[in-house]
Amino acid sequence: MIELISKISKGTKMDQIYISKERLPGFEVGTTVLIKPIIEKMKTKPLYYNISNIEPTKVIIIEEILNYFEYIDNVIITGSFLEKGFDFEDIDVILITDKKIDNSNTEIRFKKRFGINVHIISMDFKTLLKGINTDPLFQLMLSKFVSKKRVIFKTKNKINYKLLDLHLLKSKALIDNFDFLAGKEKYKMTRNLFAISLFMDNKKINTEVIDNKINEHFGKNTVKNIKENLVEKDFLNKYKSSYNRIFNKILDGIKNGSKQK
Amino acid sequence: MVQNRNKLIDLFIGNTSNAVVHKILEEAIDDEVIRKYYDKEFLNSIEIAKTYREKINPVNGPLPEKGIDNIKNKIISNVTNDLNIRVSKSYENIKFDLIESTVNKMLIEMKVINN
Repeated sequence: MIELISKISKGTKMDQIYISKERLPGFEVGTTVLIKPIIEKMKTKPLYYNISNIEPTKVIIIEEILNYFEYIDNVIITGSFLEKGFDFEDIDVILITDKKIDNSNTEIRFKKRFGINVHIISMDFKTLLKGINTDPLFQLMLSKFVSKKRVIFKTKNKINYKLLDLHLLKSKALIDNFDFLAGKEKYKMTRNLFAISLFMDNKKINTEVIDNKINEHFGKNTVKNIKENLVEKDFLNKYKSSYNRIFNKILDGIKNGSKQK
Repeated sequence: MVQNRNKLIDLFIGNTSNAVVHKILEEAIDDEVIRKYYDKEFLNSIEIAKTYREKINPVNGPLPEKGIDNIKNKIISNVTNDLNIRVSKSYENIKFDLIESTVNKMLIEMKVINN
């Protein structure tokens, strides 16, 4: 197909497009032509971090979300949505921006569009880095992600014992509600417990590392058994002693921290 | 049935206590940004307590007067004990004076007591 590129210029009553008199055949005077802008809206090409394989349906959703936030500095999609399969609860979206944004209407819009809960939080890059360096679950969450623009996190575990104490409370519910919780909930609480433990040991955190640690501590196939809610009282007893050990370590950290002041 | 109800009330007390401890500890953290962010986490922990509350009759109204004091006192006692463990390890900045008002607020929110 023959194409010509030209600019729209301003006229008095009407604007026009000038083309050279010496041109290729097909553009004779009187020919009807199609005019359209050559710069189309740039589509975002998502950048995948630590994701080797993802379902095509998820790719469509990711692209739509990233394109929706075209005016936001950077957008990160993370969480269980990026794990293999469709056993996820929601889609976690982090908007990296200095602006304060109310995302409630956008969450409703996405819920209608995809039929999935989309949890959107906005924060500046400094706060994001702070979260990664001080929060084991944040670090776990961002061990796998998709972003609009290239982003590099240099993580350095900074232990804030009071914050870890707060995180650990989430895992306490397993002890109090063992007979009543679903396997998925028990797994989340166990994962949280071991993420905190690894974080305090200054270890790298991702799902595989945590799962290996759980299996190593409780025995082969424990992760699978927790998810299927097949663990019994012996698991609970071991869990309790792990919880107490980590809790005491945190309290010792708080004590030593206050001595240093 | 009575046994079930008592068990549910115990679970409700345990989880609400946990949620109150979470709230008070949040207040003890100096960092405003972090505190704001973790407010959402607190909401998650209270959800478990809510699921038990929804199974205790009367579901939509306050619980009978007779049991309310017992529930409230047990929660306050659990929270105080949990926080005292931390204070004994030199945890600073814990606002014990917030316990009762936080418990009341939560019990109102979960329709255990009237406003």
